Amino acid sequence: MKVLKNEVETLLKEGTISAFLGMKQIKGHANPFLFTHLDDLEHLTIAEARYPLAKIILKIAHKYADHHLGIMVRGCDEKALIELYRNKQLDRSKLVPMGVACSGELAEKCNCSKPYPSQFIVGEAREISFDRTTLEKIESLPLDERFGYWINKLGKCIKCYGCRNICPVCFCEVCTLEDAPLIPLGKIPPEVPAFHLSRAFHMAGRCIDCGLCEEGCPVDIPLRTLYRKVREIVEELFDYLPGEDKEVVSPIQILGDGSFEIPEGDH
Amino acid sequence: MNYTTIPTTCAYCGCGCEILFEVLDGELVGSIPSKANPINHGSLCIKGWTAHEFVVSEKRLKTPLIRKNGEFKEATWDEALNLVSSTLKEIKETSGPNSLACLSSAKCTNEENYLMQKMMRAVVGTNNVDHCARL
Amino acid sequence: MLEESSFEPKIITFCCNWCSYAGADLAGGMRLKYSSNIRPIRVMCSGRISPHFIIKAFQEGADGVLVTGCHIGDCHYMKGNYITAKRVAILKELLNFIGISPDRLRLEWIAASEGDKFARVADEFTKKIKALGPSSIKNISFNK
Repeated sequence: MKVLKNEVETLLKEGTISAFLGMKQIKGHANPFLFTHLDDLEHLTIAEARYPLAKIILKIAHKYADHHLGIMVRGCDEKALIELYRNKQLDRSKLVPMGVACSGELAEKCNCSKPYPSQFIVGEAREISFDRTTLEKIESLPLDERFGYWINKLGKCIKCYGCRNICPVCFCEVCTLEDAPLIPLGKIPPEVPAFHLSRAFHMAGRCIDCGLCEEGCPVDIPLRTLYRKVREIVEELFDYLPGEDKEVVSPIQILGDGSFEIPEGDH
Repeated sequence: MNYTTIPTTCAYCGCGCEILFEVLDGELVGSIPSKANPINHGSLCIKGWTAHEFVVSEKRLKTPLIRKNGEFKEATWDEALNLVSSTLKEIKETSGPNSLACLSSAKCTNEENYLMQKMMRAVVGTNNVDHCARL
Repeated sequence: MLEESSFEPKIITFCCNWCSYAGADLAGGMRLKYSSNIRPIRVMCSGRISPHFIIKAFQEGADGVLVTGCHIGDCHYMKGNYITAKRVAILKELLNFIGISPDRLRLEWIAASEGDKFARVADEFTKKIKALGPSSIKNISFNK
């Protein structure tokens, strides 16, 4: 952590960045904070609690578009930032990421297969294989039981919009889930399964598999499993994975060249 | 350039979830659920997620309003409180204290609720004390 | 083994204005008989069909959804139908994962001159949906 503090101090002193978005330790808890003064840096911490820093930096960067900003990034934050650059929500040249590799416990808890960014100054790279048990369990169920399982889980939804609000790649100002003809107002649970199917489709080509949605769900809907499946569908059909630092555009966001054909079976 | 998150307790219901209010340059811009609190564990309901909105809403009243000739007109606190107390006194005298009731709110502090029920019981003389959720 | 079921499925059919709707018109002009279970909705291009339309159709109780458009390369707007195939492919897999048979969603390219194809596809698809039975979304108690 001293390494991080020193790096940030240097960047602030040199004026490379105007501010650094990280975590501040107050009374035993770590909360997101924008460090602008060197004196604040004594409270800088790297906490195990994950907050969507990529989403927070969006707000700040939109207001201060001309400033260079530093940000603490974990593996998931980096993927989120890449998606935001790809969608032209953030200017890559104005951000200075400070990489932090996650601890073994956090990687296990988050079920993360790449718990480190491409460059990091704290921690060490570790790989754990993604635990596909829940996905496999659902895939192995016969169709009717699968339906029953999902309706049971999705029926608990209280329409808190937590999954959408906390998602680092959800940046739309006008959201489909608030569109009254599709999702009528005033119904709890919201249209089962249309509400979640709509969100799941939106996650195609966008979801970076960070798991914040499932962590933020008050009724424990297996959201990450659902979006993970969509991610795997897109990978299989289009050989595309969001969050990779490549000069490509999501195949769902462009018309393409017409070469794609629906695989086997009748159309 | 100032951004901080301030832990606070949601004012809406008895759960008391911890929210981190996002404050950008002195302005409330958002809510994030706190992951540190054992009550909500990083989740919020729709009211918690939008708890910051009513604080900065344009629709908030800035002055007391009194209905005159069918229209709401701005008034001072003195005018408004005088009208309220004289009308309540009048109703108490003509129709009796039990014709009055009060509806308090979970958004008020415990102390404010205590004062409200004390006023109704001791000053007005009725125990018709209830909560806005019953409205 | 095949029971005479009284189940008449409702199949929402999206047709693009220039090719498949004209194809459907031609089927009518040729006086072809085909299942009346299909309920056509005309859109200007199959690329206009947002996946949410399809999701909404199933949510409202459609037993099957048929998406039709111009053949690849023949789209009136050049490339509109390129995205349709991608969307339907993802949606089929997603529906399968949720527990709705992917056979309930079908994509077919039908040209303006293919009136007979339209009638044939309508009949085939209706038969298939009849065999699958009514959509289980209609039975969800909390949607009522």
